[in-house]
Amino acid sequence: MTKRVLWTNVIITVLIMGLFTLAAQFFFHYSRNSTSVAIIYVLAVMLVARYCTGYIPGIVASVFGVFFVNYVYTYPYMNFSLSIDGYPVTFSGMLIVSIITSTLTTRFKKQSQLINEQEKLLVEAEKETMRANLLRAVSHDLRTPLTGIIGMSKAYLDGADTLPEEEKAEMVASIQEDANWLLNMVENLLAVTRIRVGDAKVTTTPELLEEVVSEAVLRFKKRLPHASVRVQVPEEVLVVPMDATLIEQVIINLLENAAYHSGSQEPIELSVERWPHEVAFFVRDSGRGIDPDRLGTIFDGGGTDSNVSGDSHKGMGIGLSICKTIINAHHGTIEARNREKGAEFMFTLPLEEKKA
Amino acid sequence: MTNKQTVLIIEDEKNIGNFIETIVISNHYKALRASNGMSGLSLCTSHRPDLILLDLGLPDIDGMEVLQRIRGFSNVPVIVISARTQEREKVDALDQGADDYITKPFGSEELLARMRTALRHSERAASAAPQEQKYSRDGLEIDFDKRVVTLQGEYVHLTQIEYKLVSLLARNAGKVLTYDYILKEIWGPYADTDNQILRVNMANIRRKLEKNPAEPYYIFTEIGVGYRMIE
Repeated sequence: MTKRVLWTNVIITVLIMGLFTLAAQFFFHYSRNSTSVAIIYVLAVMLVARYCTGYIPGIVASVFGVFFVNYVYTYPYMNFSLSIDGYPVTFSGMLIVSIITSTLTTRFKKQSQLINEQEKLLVEAEKETMRANLLRAVSHDLRTPLTGIIGMSKAYLDGADTLPEEEKAEMVASIQEDANWLLNMVENLLAVTRIRVGDAKVTTTPELLEEVVSEAVLRFKKRLPHASVRVQVPEEVLVVPMDATLIEQVIINLLENAAYHSGSQEPIELSVERWPHEVAFFVRDSGRGIDPDRLGTIFDGGGTDSNVSGDSHKGMGIGLSICKTIINAHHGTIEARNREKGAEFMFTLPLEEKKA
Repeated sequence: MTNKQTVLIIEDEKNIGNFIETIVISNHYKALRASNGMSGLSLCTSHRPDLILLDLGLPDIDGMEVLQRIRGFSNVPVIVISARTQEREKVDALDQGADDYITKPFGSEELLARMRTALRHSERAASAAPQEQKYSRDGLEIDFDKRVVTLQGEYVHLTQIEYKLVSLLARNAGKVLTYDYILKEIWGPYADTDNQILRVNMANIRRKLEKNPAEPYYIFTEIGVGYRMIE
């Protein structure tokens, strides 16, 4: 026990015992009831145990309490005596009760501290697992296109003289596709770094909704010139608090997800509706829809293990889980469902900033 | 044109420098390369290029400082090359006198379009030719003399402020104009720094000129930076 703790203990003990002695004095003055005084001291001992560190202060306070009650508040007053009939039992009883109370209190306090610490550790561990999972998924998703790029470019250089032109063009095109995929990956990761680590919140500024939507669509079209998108926003000028870069990333991820996974050439629909307290964004495609088994976990980043079915490396696991992280940080909601034909992703953003 | 225009590329990444150089040369410009800020500055003074492509992340001195020093002695058009995440940097560069910026990664067409725009604007400024009378592009016409805007031949009613905004963007077509620059030009030097009023006005203009405000054709938003009108 350090000196500091010792002094704090002494001060707290003296303070509590003093205060309760005052109270007992006051009480005894009016009622002359020594049993109640004993109870007051047991309570004081309990408080000492609660607010001091270690078992010793509680025990010291118990012993002091018993002697003091015997000395001051029981006959013969201002005299110490255990010889009167019944006194040994009463006072040893009081001593045992107060010592047990104080040790129990102290132990309870220690245990709750321990539990708190364990919980903290558990949360930390959970964060750590999340980070590790993300990293694993990321390196998987990065390695696949990189392998493609390295292999293709090597094959190109090796066969520069022998390969037919068409094949070479095809190889370069596939290198470009993989590189674009990597770029989106990196942008997703950058997006995550904009979310504050401690409280998973974002810094929002009021943005014109249509500007964010149009920039997102523009960037998406730059990346996938062949995909077609139909966009619709409300006629009303809407200003929504958000981190524009992040929301753009969400829109791009959802559009890209539709373009890669719907297996349909029909235009993707992106529409925005104004609801009473929020705006809702919809991304709909007319493709094959989402496997019902995956609907529940589609935003959990589990894309990498279950996408054996011809999706090759374009698992949207990370993209979608990042969407969810971003939308949660904005206090919005995100969900996926199947329509009659094709899939629909919907997310909402609150119109008014929520007071934290 | 027998006399090729010279483009100075200040970029420390060898691969990106090669890529830009290839584009520049294959489109009939003369290319100069500098891999750091100091040699870029000395090439700029000795060769007097017609256009500078400046990467902001340089090994020796900050790209922003290179820009300031160039602006100390020359009005040569400068296009800044930057990464997408650094909005603040783009705005600063534009406000420090850069003519335009291009975001990594970019395609060759995008780069060439920016270069042409910057060169054209600088030539126009240098020749002191009278300002253009008209802006015309795909059905949108702006007559600066009569202060009339027509869309597919039909008169478009714009408020005073809206007209000022559209004509400012049209006179600088192809160039991105920052929020601050537009605010100062339209509302004067003491205007509120809050760009909300500007953005709401732009939203109204969009509703009058664009078929679908969410897929603009004439005026593009660069969020966090400003607006650019199609050239």
